[in-house]
Amino acid sequence: MADLEIRDLHVRIEEREILKGVDLDISRGEVHALMGPNGSGKSTLANTLLGHPSYEITEGTIVFKGEDITEAEPHERAKAGLFLAFQYPVSIPGVSVANFLRMAINAKRDGDPIQVKEFRTQLQHAIELLDVDKAFTSRHLNDGFSGGEKKRAEILQMAMLAPDVAILDETDSGLDIDALRTVAEGVQKLHEEQGLGALIITHYQRILHYIKPQFVHILMDGRIVLQGGVELVERLEREGYDQIRQEVGARA
Amino acid sequence: MPEVQVKPGRHREASLYHALAGAGAGNGRTLEQLREAALKTYETSELPVWRRSGFWTTNLQSLDLDALQTGGAGDSIEVAPGVVPEVVTRTLPDRPRAGRIVQSAGSVVHVELDQELAERGVILCSLEQAFVEHRELAERWYSKRLPIDRHKLEAANAAFWTGGAFLYVPKGLVVEDPFEIVYAIEGPGVAQYARTLAIGGESSEFKLHEYDLAEDFEGQALHAGAFELYLQDGARCRLAQVQDWSPADRSPAHPEVYDVSTRFVGVGRDAYCHWLPALLGGHLVRQHLELAVSEPGGDMAFRGLFFTEEREHLDVFAVDLHETGPSGGDVHWRGAATGESRASFEGLIQIDPGAQQTHTYLQIHSMMLSPKARVDAIPSVLVSADDVSASHGGTVGELDEAAIFYMQTRGLDRPAAVRVIVEGFFEPLIAELTDEPLEEIVREKIAGKLAAARDDIEAYATSR
Repeated sequence: MADLEIRDLHVRIEEREILKGVDLDISRGEVHALMGPNGSGKSTLANTLLGHPSYEITEGTIVFKGEDITEAEPHERAKAGLFLAFQYPVSIPGVSVANFLRMAINAKRDGDPIQVKEFRTQLQHAIELLDVDKAFTSRHLNDGFSGGEKKRAEILQMAMLAPDVAILDETDSGLDIDALRTVAEGVQKLHEEQGLGALIITHYQRILHYIKPQFVHILMDGRIVLQGGVELVERLEREGYDQIRQEVGARA
Repeated sequence: MPEVQVKPGRHREASLYHALAGAGAGNGRTLEQLREAALKTYETSELPVWRRSGFWTTNLQSLDLDALQTGGAGDSIEVAPGVVPEVVTRTLPDRPRAGRIVQSAGSVVHVELDQELAERGVILCSLEQAFVEHRELAERWYSKRLPIDRHKLEAANAAFWTGGAFLYVPKGLVVEDPFEIVYAIEGPGVAQYARTLAIGGESSEFKLHEYDLAEDFEGQALHAGAFELYLQDGARCRLAQVQDWSPADRSPAHPEVYDVSTRFVGVGRDAYCHWLPALLGGHLVRQHLELAVSEPGGDMAFRGLFFTEEREHLDVFAVDLHETGPSGGDVHWRGAATGESRASFEGLIQIDPGAQQTHTYLQIHSMMLSPKARVDAIPSVLVSADDVSASHGGTVGELDEAAIFYMQTRGLDRPAAVRVIVEGFFEPLIAELTDEPLEEIVREKIAGKLAAARDDIEAYATSR
């Protein structure tokens, strides 16, 4: 049984059906890539998995570590070990990165707050892993951050919260090659060191040059139309979405 | 004198919003003469009504003034001298301080002043005592810029005040720890006429913290305050006020405190004041806050925050007055409202003729935390000089649902996420207090009020 089991997931937003029956299994220690053209429903899936209130699940279930979380509150999903790295991280003025991290860690620990020393050690480790400046953690979260800084802050949070399964929603978008490499290497290390399971959602292939997924899924029009290994990425690179669409369309 | 709009029929006179401007009532008169003049005004005037064109009225018709007592000498409300009210010991930080004066109802119950500072000429005592022991000094400054006859409660304060606080920091003295002035109301039926006079001598530097606190009780009380601070040439003061007449831990009683106060800070040549009132609660609060740069080179930072809840009514008129130039000003307020509370903030930049080379900016940011709460923010600019810059800006916001979801995905539940947002909203101003114990009090109070409004905020979210 997989850690995260998505079954026949149908999702609508404002009366429009976006996901039309998605099945997906993700476990700790696995790296999955979910690829698809714009509008295929990638971000809808990411937001739905974390319980965004604007997305309505009309059919299907999400089971995480044996618990049905289809109706769970976002913070309950997070505490269970799910994480979402946002495509567009929101700024939280007035709260430093470090303070926010401590709040998030303490929320997860449920009334057993982390010791200052332990927190500092963990933070130091994460900072080195992601090659960020220490001063970074005293800045207000995402407030005035560059695109690259925001994405690093996402991965920093992921490192500190040590989820079982992380969904990375277009984490590669808007990054220059150096930032992309740092972020990708960070994810790779967490995968290797902590056994992180990841669902990397992306439109492009370039992040997958740094993180090698074991499983690749292609999402089109709200359905997963192709599944395979890393060879799918290469095929996509050669042929593009249009050709795959034609082929799948012809088959259907 | 403000213009008074007189309307026929059943309408009462309504005061509009004007800067105090010009000299106060003092003007060479003795305390006794001022009390007598104020008494006449008191006897011949009605409770005030303030009206802003059409949509905003502050009136005191629900206040039963005749049922209140001052709690001063000869009154039946007894306050034991030497006994500091519980709400004061509970709220104020245990921290190094230069001195403290505590008034409950109409009586000063506690005065302390660092011995060394006393020897170096600092005076901290009740205003009553100041008129006995330092009469010439007190009379020179008393009501220098404060009027006594704009409305009944202002007159009542000037006529009836007892106790009071007097602070004098002599020339050149730099005081590290804050002076604390506390006004407490411990029970219903009190009319507290609070009167503070503070003077910073040339090139002195000090901090002044005022606390206005009420105990949990049921029933009406009034705090009619008059505050004046004068900073002489080169003096620097960090002035902060924590006002909370509705403690968050109240249950089941509801203190119903009316607070009608006027506060004036005069900034002398090359002097500087950083002023931050934190208006955190009161059944009906009307504050006229005026920071005037009176001499060339004066500079100020006028900060403020407010938080209203339940059915509270808050009316703030904050004036950034420039009487001469060059001078600087920077006004920045932030407020949030929950429940069915209503808050109105008017910020006025007034630059008088001749106040050339004045540069000032006013910003007001507000946040509505419930569907029935309302905040009106009105910036206004009155400029009578041509070589100046004066501008204003601001935002009105609601809770950012995207930010809440973001924090929820990190494990914070909704109330915790809301708290982060609201605290973050106020944090830039709180951090400017640059005084950790004081910052903590303000943070804790805001957190307490948010916790009390939890259901309300939740209902707002699900209603959208």
